[in-house]
Amino acid sequence: MNREIFRMERVTYRENGVTFLKDFNLRIDEGEILGLIPVNGYGLNAFLKLLEVNLPLEDGYVYSRGELINSWKDSKRTRSRISVIGAENRLVETLSVTDNIFVLRKGFRQEIIHTGLLHRQLQPFLADIGMDIPADVPVERLTVFQRVVLELLRAVVFGQKFVVLNEIGALISYEELDKLHEILRHYVAHGFSFLYICLHYEEASRICERCAMMSHGRILKLLPCGSAENAERLYAAEYKKMVRIHMENRQEQLKERHQVFAADHLSGEQIQNLSFSVDEGECLAVQILDNNLFVELRDFLLQEKEPEGGAVLIGARRKQNFSDRRIAVIRELATRTMVFPELSYMENLCISLSMRVPTLWLKKSIRRSIRREYGPILGEEVFDLPVSSLTERQKYQMIYTRVQLARPDVVFCIQPFKGADLPHRMHIWQLLEQLMDHGIAVVLVSLNLSDSLSMADRLLVIGKEGIQEVLRKDFPTLAEEVPWMEPV
Amino acid sequence: MSWREKRKKKWKYISNRVQVLGVLCLVALSLSGAVQLAAAKTGADVLFTTGCLTLLAGAALAAAFWGWVIRPYREHEKVEKRFLAGYMFSEEDLERAVLTPTMREQMEMMEKIIRSPQLMDLNKRQAQYLALQNQINPHFLYNTLESIRGEALIAGLSGVADMTESLAKFFRYTITKVENLVSVEEELDNCETYFGIQKYRFGDRLQLHVEYDPDEWEEIMNCRIPKLTLQPILENSIIHGTELKIGEGNLWIRFRRTEKRLVITISDDGVGMDEETLERLNEKLNRGVDAITQQPEEKQGGIALANVNNRIHLIFGDEYGMHVYSMAECGTDVEISIPVVTRLEQKEEHV
Repeated sequence: MNREIFRMERVTYRENGVTFLKDFNLRIDEGEILGLIPVNGYGLNAFLKLLEVNLPLEDGYVYSRGELINSWKDSKRTRSRISVIGAENRLVETLSVTDNIFVLRKGFRQEIIHTGLLHRQLQPFLADIGMDIPADVPVERLTVFQRVVLELLRAVVFGQKFVVLNEIGALISYEELDKLHEILRHYVAHGFSFLYICLHYEEASRICERCAMMSHGRILKLLPCGSAENAERLYAAEYKKMVRIHMENRQEQLKERHQVFAADHLSGEQIQNLSFSVDEGECLAVQILDNNLFVELRDFLLQEKEPEGGAVLIGARRKQNFSDRRIAVIRELATRTMVFPELSYMENLCISLSMRVPTLWLKKSIRRSIRREYGPILGEEVFDLPVSSLTERQKYQMIYTRVQLARPDVVFCIQPFKGADLPHRMHIWQLLEQLMDHGIAVVLVSLNLSDSLSMADRLLVIGKEGIQEVLRKDFPTLAEEVPWMEPV
Repeated sequence: MSWREKRKKKWKYISNRVQVLGVLCLVALSLSGAVQLAAAKTGADVLFTTGCLTLLAGAALAAAFWGWVIRPYREHEKVEKRFLAGYMFSEEDLERAVLTPTMREQMEMMEKIIRSPQLMDLNKRQAQYLALQNQINPHFLYNTLESIRGEALIAGLSGVADMTESLAKFFRYTITKVENLVSVEEELDNCETYFGIQKYRFGDRLQLHVEYDPDEWEEIMNCRIPKLTLQPILENSIIHGTELKIGEGNLWIRFRRTEKRLVITISDDGVGMDEETLERLNEKLNRGVDAITQQPEEKQGGIALANVNNRIHLIFGDEYGMHVYSMAECGTDVEISIPVVTRLEQKEEHV
């Protein structure tokens, strides 16, 4: 007999008159890893919120282990025994690993904390999953992967049999993801259930047997994972067409280009002798296999850390760091991290241009000219809107146009597709393509290849062991499943 | 009815509670006024005491209004709104309808009408009629006769006999059998008969697969489900799913049992449907009252599903029912969730 661990039956959920979930049906059995792929992100946050707290429903029923825990008739606003693990750290950063796991547990009633005893108690849990995490270090000193495992371990110790993993693939490297999958399988064998939210069918196929396709706040269909036929159907025909046209154009564009940027033996605490170059209008995908390397490179790019050795070459100039007008960086989750809500749309758009045109803020004529030129592309109405009321699409457009206006030689995009649903990923693709059309080199820095590879001209795989360069013609030989490789 | 029960019943309704609270408010105000007047007359400084008393009385009245009036009113409104949105209400919902006694009676009357045996029968008859009507529509009849003729020409009389037998069996089950709940085995048998008839038309282009856990087979087969639950959905899957597909079509009937539920999924690998159609269909399924009132006007597909779902709601309550999952070019799944009912007594309880 199947044992249901969690079930949502025809749930309709509204917030301030806006319907976020409509006739939402989802069932997870004991010992199952169910994939959830948001075809578009609408309603996903509301769904996660409902998983954690039993908020009032407009319609429908929520069951946990067959028992009704929330319904449109009666919502107790109590917290569910469900853990959600994602980008946001749910642990107390200043406390140690054991404190987070044992001391913060609800039933922990000891008045004197026996640190040594707790350390010893933790060891079997770690040994069980083949992990080695120092028990006494504060959580803030752990890597992202260790933090994810720790949150998982905490859920296990707390007896939460149902855990939600939200876009973990974007946080950790391939190797770490494989290890995490191993851990999940181990717990599945012990009756734990997981909801694995990820943006790609290919990623879900690596761990799940079936996955739910979510769109506009409802589950469209449950698909068996691992079917190439399904993968084929999932990606919109227009996207495939876009990829194909892009590839045809790229062959023409890539002839005779000169180098615009090079890293020459860059070194830091983690990165050792990193060298690579990128040509005008080229798209280079950089996959980093180790999270520490990724964090250090990101810090270099955002100038939060100076490289200890080596240099970067911009045109003919040699520099010790990435601080140069000709290098632009688009941060992770750009619509949240690169939008200044207190500034107007025009100010947001031109914030980088002022470095190139110092008189920008003094001369209205320049701003008028920008509005004339970009109004038809961005939409006239956006210039008069408060930035906070822009749609995600308009925000992406604003950020990428900002970069385009600054005319850098090279743009480093840190996980540009992270957190974006399919329509937004398609839009980001188009915006990146526009940058390349303007001769700007694009470097896509990410932990996994899921979206970057199909648009890249070259791939650079950076690991602890060294750097490996893969040319476009050799992409099909890569072992990983990569979406949208079919049209190539 | 005892005095206590009478009082309890009287105070159940917001209309009565508001009267009581209104009187209390007036009394509190009058008392406060009287105390202040008395204080003014005697020149005593009782302003602080009266202020405190007024504050306390105000807080008590506010709490009483919240717990006694506002909250139950909101619940009542929720039930009303849902009814207006097309949802049916159960007896449990009626307990939350506490605006006025007349309003309650009115809702009880509506509930009685919706759940009346006549309407149930009408509903069932509609299902039978639809099933029958669908079978005797010209296309079905012509295609079946064509198949019979082909069989007769090619292979002699044995095929004709088989088809006739299948048809007779199907009609006998659909029209003659009068129970509300039947065993899964009987329903499945009817589905296979129906599919057998369709096979004459589609040949090897159409395949039916029945999937279940062998350990639970007997238990599942003994479960009781509303009559004509599976066949209309199977028919829908053929007509709107696989028939429109080029090449071979597959249909699956999957049975799954949990502690409290029997989940039956009827799937096809046909053309599926777009998001808007799926949204409309699931919306139609959830609004039970609409399904009853709007049936005659509906011309497009989904009547059979709404009808089956409506009967499940009427028999088992709105916690159970049907949900459709679909994506264009990815097929359609119709998931039916009903309580596990196996024994005869349980069966009678539900009918």
